Amino acid sequence: MTDRSRIALMLAPALLVLGGLFLTGLGLTLLRSFRYMPALGLTEPDLAAYTAVLTAPGFLRSLGLSLWIATASTAIAALLAMAAALLLRQSFPGRALVSFLIQLNLTVPHIVGAIGMLYLVSQSGSFARLAKAAGLIAGPQDFPALTQDPWAIGIILLYVWKELPFITLILLANLQALGEDHEATARTLGATRWQAFAHVLLPLMLPGLMAASALVFAFAFGAYEVPLILGAHAPKALPVLAWQAANDTDLAARPEAMAMAVLIAGIGLVLLALYARAARSRHVD
Amino acid sequence: MFRSLAALLLLSAAALADTSDGDALKGMTWEQVVDQARGGTVNWFMWGGSDTINAYVDGYVAERLKADYDITLNRVPITDAADIVNQVLTEKEAGVTDAGSVDLIWINGENFRSMKQADLAFCGYTAMLPNDGLVNWDNPAVANDFGVPVDGCEVPWNTVQFAFAHDSAKTPEPPADMAALLDWIKANPGRFTYPAPPDFTGSAFLRHVFIHAAGGPDSLLGPFDQAKFDEVSAKTWAILNEIEPSLWREGATYPTTVTQLNELFANGEVDFSFNYDPAQFGLAVEAGTWPDTTRSFGLSDGTIGNTNYTLIPFNSPNKAAAMVVQNLLLSGEAQLEKAKTEVWGAAPAIEIARTAPEVQSGFAAIKTHPSVIPASELAKAALPELQADWLTAIEKGWMETVGN
Amino acid sequence: MSTSLRTLAALALMAFLILPLLPLAVWSLAQGWRFPDILPAELSTTAWAYALSPQSGVLESFGITTLIATATTLIAALVGLPAGRALGLYRFRGRGLVVLLLLAPAILPGIAVVFGLHGILLRAGLAGTVAGVILAHLVPVLPYMTLVLAAVFSRFDPTYEQQARTLGATPWQAFRTVTLPAILPGLLTAALFSFLVSWSQYLLTLAVGGGRVQTLPLLLYGFAAAGRNDLTAAIALLYILPGLLILALTARQITGRNTALVSGARP
Repeated sequence: MTDRSRIALMLAPALLVLGGLFLTGLGLTLLRSFRYMPALGLTEPDLAAYTAVLTAPGFLRSLGLSLWIATASTAIAALLAMAAALLLRQSFPGRALVSFLIQLNLTVPHIVGAIGMLYLVSQSGSFARLAKAAGLIAGPQDFPALTQDPWAIGIILLYVWKELPFITLILLANLQALGEDHEATARTLGATRWQAFAHVLLPLMLPGLMAASALVFAFAFGAYEVPLILGAHAPKALPVLAWQAANDTDLAARPEAMAMAVLIAGIGLVLLALYARAARSRHVD
Repeated sequence: MFRSLAALLLLSAAALADTSDGDALKGMTWEQVVDQARGGTVNWFMWGGSDTINAYVDGYVAERLKADYDITLNRVPITDAADIVNQVLTEKEAGVTDAGSVDLIWINGENFRSMKQADLAFCGYTAMLPNDGLVNWDNPAVANDFGVPVDGCEVPWNTVQFAFAHDSAKTPEPPADMAALLDWIKANPGRFTYPAPPDFTGSAFLRHVFIHAAGGPDSLLGPFDQAKFDEVSAKTWAILNEIEPSLWREGATYPTTVTQLNELFANGEVDFSFNYDPAQFGLAVEAGTWPDTTRSFGLSDGTIGNTNYTLIPFNSPNKAAAMVVQNLLLSGEAQLEKAKTEVWGAAPAIEIARTAPEVQSGFAAIKTHPSVIPASELAKAALPELQADWLTAIEKGWMETVGN
Repeated sequence: MSTSLRTLAALALMAFLILPLLPLAVWSLAQGWRFPDILPAELSTTAWAYALSPQSGVLESFGITTLIATATTLIAALVGLPAGRALGLYRFRGRGLVVLLLLAPAILPGIAVVFGLHGILLRAGLAGTVAGVILAHLVPVLPYMTLVLAAVFSRFDPTYEQQARTLGATPWQAFRTVTLPAILPGLLTAALFSFLVSWSQYLLTLAVGGGRVQTLPLLLYGFAAAGRNDLTAAIALLYILPGLLILALTARQITGRNTALVSGARP
């Protein structure tokens, strides 16, 4: 057996599974988004579903909301994760506990975190009760609205809570692989602590940070259960809107759901390209 | 547990006798249907949010089915019946006509209309059920589900009538009618809200306002009338937009589900909650979720009542067993059991007078939960349910003009 | 940064990480806990008793979820091993494309794939079955398993295998005695995280299982949607148990040496 055919044989099962499920699934979604559904007598593909989706004000507002959620969550989580990673490189009392908690958090499913966050920060949640006991508020209505709110603060808080550990772990692994040497060298060459960070450490951390951020952005953009639990009635996050359209008993709404899925996939592809670039410069793939 | 896991893995192995052919069943006697049903499994998709209702189904109903008919009842908890309508629809689209995953659905209203319109329901068999005689099909509120004729496509299970809940310790004198409620809302800013449609209960609240705006239900009965809708909806949106600044969070957002409204009520963020099934109030108090001082009330200009049903999809492979389940649910004994306050407190869908004497005395002995307004009290001012097309138009209009 | 400042920052981080889990712990023991009570007036074990009773279906659901996650992980390992080896050890034409295909399911939002996936499995008669859900879970799980194993194999020296073969070992013996011990730590970490990825799936299970395959997150959301905070919290805590267990098995001071853990992690 030649090397080539051996490699092909080794890859075949994985490619078969992903091709059969993932690519075919995407293809089917694409077909249906063009309103090609022979079972329902639709055999003339057209772009009506895309027109309907893109001209509906609901879709654009949902798209805006989802982009906002993903951008804000990723930016805040990435910044805090950098700080946390730098902190965890140093020794301080309780370091073991913090690193345990960070890993613990990684294993908690999003849906559990979302429910916990709801109980914590809603207007009648634990914080509101503490504020009431401290005499800061007279009732729930005085507590800032952090869930079902127009700025999706509760959703962003949850993603920051959940993704901060994820990015931190990736950064720590990268930093560990780099060792302390570069930074120390820079310091001995007269760089200030800030210069050493900005000119040496940060550029070294950046590829890992970018790759992790792309993953986090994609997740925060496309997750369903978190906005379902913490989101407002309107506008809905894009995945919630798409799922609702897909479950509309009016069949006409279904191609629109598929069109939304395709548009979401398109945004995902852009992220994939970004990730691939970041990963390549990191030499990890 | 491992046996049930294995059963799940071997999926179709559970279907000993495939009874997907509904027409064949319709040609049989009831005894033959029961014979076919023996050893079958019924996947019953129903709202699963109440542990007491779950306990009734998994306990009383499932045990009787096992003991009397060797039928295994698999209760599948769901959050929204619309998802299941969609699932059956998707199965039909994919050509799954005799091996569907759903054998029985707890359903009514627009979901029933959708199923009937898309030919997703198994129909024309209900008169075969021996306990069908307990149902008063002459009652239009039973023979029509949100104005859509039932036509032997579903079997009634419960009757309900919309009621409001309040905390008697905080609001001892709740408003008596819709006009008074609207005034109360304006006088007490931030203390009221309603779930945004398509939430089932929020949509029902909207219909109360709609009927109020129309000056009563009489002109709205019958099929959808666009001119009438335009006239009444304009008034309705005006009322709702007028109260919006006085709602919880100044109407900037609405709860998405009745559960969120219940939560707001539990924590004293709003002063009223409401439900189609007032028995839920008693269950919430018993679960410790709501204060003991919770009481409930209707409106003197009436609240909407309706019936909910169970339905067998056209592609259920276990139709015979599902029919036996429906028949059992309809029996005087099963209806009495779920009417008991400590079990569920649900109002029966059958004529009590047609049941056996001991069942009748059982019903007579029931004492309703103090937080639940007795059905007889509510029934003094009842409104009919509007047809499903009105409902869809109201929900759509609300999203465009009020809840945007 | 001074030590006290560092400690302060660490305390804030710890509080942030642990806070959302605290109300869950209290709710699971609460019998009625309304604003403005900081703690429940009455503690009760009803929620736990119900969650652990056979009637609630939680334990059965726990079993099904475990079964699905285990099967998904095993299949992913079997399929991912050869693919990871090919990617880790060989440079070949089209390798970049294969990597991209593997990355895509991990990055593309689940909602983009879920409708089509459901369509395929429905036509295959697998919608609403445990087998169908396992196949669906392979979509996010298999890429992780394969990519982690590719990283593991890229640090593996195949000449040891050849030496074993020249010494007369069969391919299977060479794999068992040489290759497997070398890749085992990476394989185990990948497996544990694959398990967790499957364990956490909500949307894929909902869509493909159609409510018939009641995994824990579905059951959990059902009770959350019905406003039973006490039951929701008890189930939520049961739901994070395996994660804790896995953590106990793999936890160590974060040193970065366990890079497989990190590359297997996902947001």
